[in-house]
Amino acid sequence: MNFENPGAQAGVLQPRSDPAVVREGHDRPPSGGKSPLVSKAGADPLRALGRVLVWAFVTFNLLVFAFLILSSFKTTTDIFSAPWGIPSSLHLANWENAWNESGFARATLNTAGLALGASVCTLAVSAPAAYVLSRIRTRSAGPLSVFFALGLGIPAQVTVIPLFEMMSRVDLVNSLLGLFIIYTATHVPFTVFLLTGFMRTLPREIEEAAAIDGASPFRSFWQVMLPLARSGLITVLILNIISMWNETLLGIVFLQAVDKYTVSLALLNFLSSMQFSGADYGGLFAGVCILVLPMLALYLWLWRRIIEGITLGAGK
Amino acid sequence: MTLATPPAGEPRRWRGSPRSTGAFDRSRRRLFLPFVVPALVLYLAFVIGPTLAALWISFHRWDGISEMRWNGLGNYSALFGDPTFLTALVNTLIILVVAGAAIFAISFVLTMIVREMRGRSFIRSVLFFPHIVSAIVLSIVWGFIFEHNGTVNTILSKMFGAEPIPWLNSDNLFSMILIGTVWISTGLYVTIILAAVDRIPRYFYEDALLAGANAYQRLRFVTLPLSWDVISVAAIFWTISSLKIFEFIYAFGGTTNDLPPPAVWNSALFVYGESFGGRSPSYLFGYASASAILMLVLFTVLIVVLRRLLRRDSIEF
Repeated sequence: MNFENPGAQAGVLQPRSDPAVVREGHDRPPSGGKSPLVSKAGADPLRALGRVLVWAFVTFNLLVFAFLILSSFKTTTDIFSAPWGIPSSLHLANWENAWNESGFARATLNTAGLALGASVCTLAVSAPAAYVLSRIRTRSAGPLSVFFALGLGIPAQVTVIPLFEMMSRVDLVNSLLGLFIIYTATHVPFTVFLLTGFMRTLPREIEEAAAIDGASPFRSFWQVMLPLARSGLITVLILNIISMWNETLLGIVFLQAVDKYTVSLALLNFLSSMQFSGADYGGLFAGVCILVLPMLALYLWLWRRIIEGITLGAGK
Repeated sequence: MTLATPPAGEPRRWRGSPRSTGAFDRSRRRLFLPFVVPALVLYLAFVIGPTLAALWISFHRWDGISEMRWNGLGNYSALFGDPTFLTALVNTLIILVVAGAAIFAISFVLTMIVREMRGRSFIRSVLFFPHIVSAIVLSIVWGFIFEHNGTVNTILSKMFGAEPIPWLNSDNLFSMILIGTVWISTGLYVTIILAAVDRIPRYFYEDALLAGANAYQRLRFVTLPLSWDVISVAAIFWTISSLKIFEFIYAFGGTTNDLPPPAVWNSALFVYGESFGGRSPSYLFGYASASAILMLVLFTVLIVVLRRLLRRDSIEF
């Protein structure tokens, strides 16, 4: 295919100058996104107070996460006697216990498989639907998009009882496969919704060029649209992975056997077992870290995309 | 965004293009059904179908095992005489309104401050972070910080010699849950509002400044009107997500191997508590479904009203 159609590219890639940003005589040139209002406003004591509050909030969040990680290396006595101290020695026993004896190894495997598999399946089902809903104008495309968006407003507590009944009839209760199907299906509305919005913003010209070059619509979807929409696809994939990794309500209803638990269920199980086996807060925080750290890693790696995806949902 | 502006049929842009795109468009229409049907089937079978089934179940007495028995509107009228449900209803609405107002007020103030700060993208990503952490973890941390011999009481007693404050006793627990909800949600709305505010061209602010507008006037006449679209969507988004809150409250049951006290239940906990949850589940499927449907209807009405209230002519810029 030949995409080097100058007419099509002109619309997409034409460099735009924004004359409004710098006006002669009035403004300093923009410097690294810093507003020219800063210097004026900086003296305002209210604003200074505001900054202190923002930093306090930021510090609080950072301390909380430092606390989680530090505590996972401490003994329970250490956690209570010096909650903010550096652990006296790396108490790796917490992690060993959580990983081997409290079933977190199995749970991590279960959750990772569920979240990765189901989010990929959701995407595979939703991307084609979003493509035709955003690109083909039939009478039903608009109402169908709205119909999919309605699904965003239906909370799991409404559907959980009928779903349980449905799945128990086909013997898919207490089964990871059953939860896999449910996760895949319940994330379809959000995924279709986000991708339809995203694909609407993509330029049509490249697809037009592909059409002129004789590409079939399917090929145009596969070889033009999907690569174009790559960033949106990855974003929604990650958002779904995060949502499935942390999901709890459907998990506690559908999974009963300990060897099928997801990480959040293993953590809740650990929490309630402390009633009998004594307070092992070190182990608890090791479990907490097993639930948090994969998402933290994903976030550190892809935070820009995650934040873009969230704002994409709310913006235009 | 679809919730904000239902997709109107854009004018066809193919008109006047070469014939090949017309043929392309026609043959693309044949993709419509095969591409849409798999997603639609999953959606109908696992979201819409179960919602309608919940409506049907809500008119029955049913424990999931024995025959369903028709109960008409009996479940619904029983709900209004059930103090546990009324508490859950009020709690859900308090979370929606009180926590929501706090979240939006704080987010707006933070956005206004953060947008002019150095290191704003670092600040934003730290504030946002709780949103991607499991609410169970946040709940455990929140409980740990405010426990009887937890962090806050330790600090208070070391600094001021204060007696430990019972933050998490039955009188205070729901307030602490509210504050915790504000803590975990604020970063998300700061992020959303910040993105909207960033799209406003700077020259509007400069003009306002030249005209002598103070900070409040800039907020009132520039920021608010020009980010209104996103704010109204965010408000609807909060309404939807506030109904879904479950884990953060659930994990306050803590080490008791049971649900948290009914005084802090919201709608989701009520449904779970009346069906599968607790040490000895009650399996009142009809009753639980009735409460879920009632809340869904209530929130649908709220969203419709909210959309009407928040509707402004959108400003193009």
